[in-house]
Amino acid sequence: MTFLESLSAGFVLVAQWQSLFFLALGVLIGVIAGAIPGMSATMAVALTLPFTFALQPIFGILLLLGVYKGGIFGGSIPAILIKTPGTPASSATVLDGYPLAEQGRAGEALSMALYASCLADFISNIALIIFAAWLASFALNFGPPEMFTLIFFSLTIIAGVSGDSLLKGIVAATLGLLLSTIGLDFIGGTERFTFGSVDMRGGLNFIAVLIGLFAIPEIISYIRHPGSRDHRVRTLGHSKLSWFDFKRCLKSILRGSAIGVFMGAIPGIGAAPSAFLSYSEARRASPNRKNFGKGELEGVAAAEAGNNGVAGATLIPLLSLGIPGDVITAIIIGAFMVHDLTPGPLLFQNNADIVYALFIGLIASSVLLLIIGSVAIRAFRYISDVPANLLFPGVLILCIFGVFAINNSIFDVAVMLVMGVVGYVMLLLRFPAAPFLIAFILGPMLENSFRQSMLMSRGELTIFFRGPITILFWCLAAASVALIIRSTVREARSKRQSAKAAKRATSDGLE
Amino acid sequence: MLSRRFEIMIGLSVIAMSALTLFWLIPSYVALPQRPPLRALAPSFWPKIVSWTMFLCGVAMTLRAAMTDPPPDAIVDDQSLSSKELLRLAGLALILAVVYFTLPIFGMVWVCMVAFILMVMMTGRKYLLVGIVVGVMLPLALYFFFSKVAGVAIPQGQFVRLP
Repeated sequence: MTFLESLSAGFVLVAQWQSLFFLALGVLIGVIAGAIPGMSATMAVALTLPFTFALQPIFGILLLLGVYKGGIFGGSIPAILIKTPGTPASSATVLDGYPLAEQGRAGEALSMALYASCLADFISNIALIIFAAWLASFALNFGPPEMFTLIFFSLTIIAGVSGDSLLKGIVAATLGLLLSTIGLDFIGGTERFTFGSVDMRGGLNFIAVLIGLFAIPEIISYIRHPGSRDHRVRTLGHSKLSWFDFKRCLKSILRGSAIGVFMGAIPGIGAAPSAFLSYSEARRASPNRKNFGKGELEGVAAAEAGNNGVAGATLIPLLSLGIPGDVITAIIIGAFMVHDLTPGPLLFQNNADIVYALFIGLIASSVLLLIIGSVAIRAFRYISDVPANLLFPGVLILCIFGVFAINNSIFDVAVMLVMGVVGYVMLLLRFPAAPFLIAFILGPMLENSFRQSMLMSRGELTIFFRGPITILFWCLAAASVALIIRSTVREARSKRQSAKAAKRATSDGLE
Repeated sequence: MLSRRFEIMIGLSVIAMSALTLFWLIPSYVALPQRPPLRALAPSFWPKIVSWTMFLCGVAMTLRAAMTDPPPDAIVDDQSLSSKELLRLAGLALILAVVYFTLPIFGMVWVCMVAFILMVMMTGRKYLLVGIVVGVMLPLALYFFFSKVAGVAIPQGQFVRLP
């Protein structure tokens, strides 16, 4: 298929009313879920996934992408109005959004967040369209050794940037890799860790694992501290965002979008670091830098642009290489798998119509977000009033029905509940869940490419250094490990210093 | 931040878990073919590599926790459970276990209704009436969606069957 043929085939798919309906529905669900304190975009995408089984692939994937986009923006609403980020990526929005709300300018802050989000999202989608096809055509030359080194490189980044402790990130990733080996060995067909159970032969279901890991721990946390979700909502105020204010912040929005695109395209970094980097760059460059942290619209714009600029770009490694850039795209892989689609370079060859339909749908999602987001801002009071003691039991019921529906299997419900307990223990012990899930997804690909390479070379490890691509990925992996170690050492040093300062303060107090 | 004692215990648990995998789970529960053509192609090769990595991380975590200064009490998180919290968590564990084991007997819809209402009651009985209504309506709505739209055979149980 030529580019124009693919584009027109994609357009035919998106031009159906159902495509736009499911996309709009997804954005609406995402904005509502992101706006409810205690829910998150990740949980919303995970809970929506089982509802896509009955849909055509394009409708199902557009629904999930809509939830993703809506959820990322929705997180900024509680961040501004109740100082509770709906998603981790909205943490930077709190810094200036909540002070603005305290000054009675919440309406302005929310409008700025919405416009910055939509613009950054649009730019990110354009970047996806430009780079994904190019990267996919490059990745068509990859054999098993290149795939192995690429996945290894991705794992080094993911394990390193997803938590306070590098070691805990690696342990979580190894646990995910170990669990991914459960089932029948794909070369010899022999059993691994099945304990004689027929249900375990197919391995642990990925969706059951992810829902267990991301939804159940929230329910357990709520049951343990039921009062922790009480909050005070600020009013919107009567002030409106002026064109002058928007124009003043445009530079920060464009810069934040570029940062988001760059950081989103690298697997594992995610939206939160991008939002903080965009915020700090805006503060450094702004003539109003003294107002940052006290209620500066430019701060909200920069944080939201950095946050949403990631949304389209994280799909670049997903669609072109089959590697999830963050937890949400890892869940979206599930939707592809359910519909027998494999993200990666071959997707562009075999299902070019779906890929281009997704691109067009993503562009449409930016417009839908603008419309639905502006309504959601006004309706927030009703959304945030959903009582937590009805919300979390509801989430549990959704999880049970959704997980059962994957394979009509009660065993999957057991897997979800057990993984929920594992996820809660990880939360208590400060183990990040993201490396666990991403390693669980990438594990079979990593092992498969390793063993295929070994078969090709008859056991010679030199195959992993066979050309410039493998050497490039080894160099990138080495550089990433070196950077992670450097930042870990620096962090440990600063922690030691702050611990010493706290100790001194305590002893001074005692004297 | 967790206390030093806690971090050491976590490190030792990681070591124990990886040792258990290496010396018991892999030899007992990974079936090996008669003659693997290469050592790297054996089904146990990959789990061993991963377990050894986990073991080394456990050792590093333990050593780091033991050798660095303990964090001051002011910044250490309290991990203790109050009796009320413990009671609620035990209640949730009981509800989840009962849900799982009674799903095939009573059917998913009825079990989920009871679980929903019990959870609402367990967290303070606020909005109990709304809770009961939602608790009845939500599983029914999900049943009709999954069974009629998605074509999933939701377990009906042995007593009351839905259309």
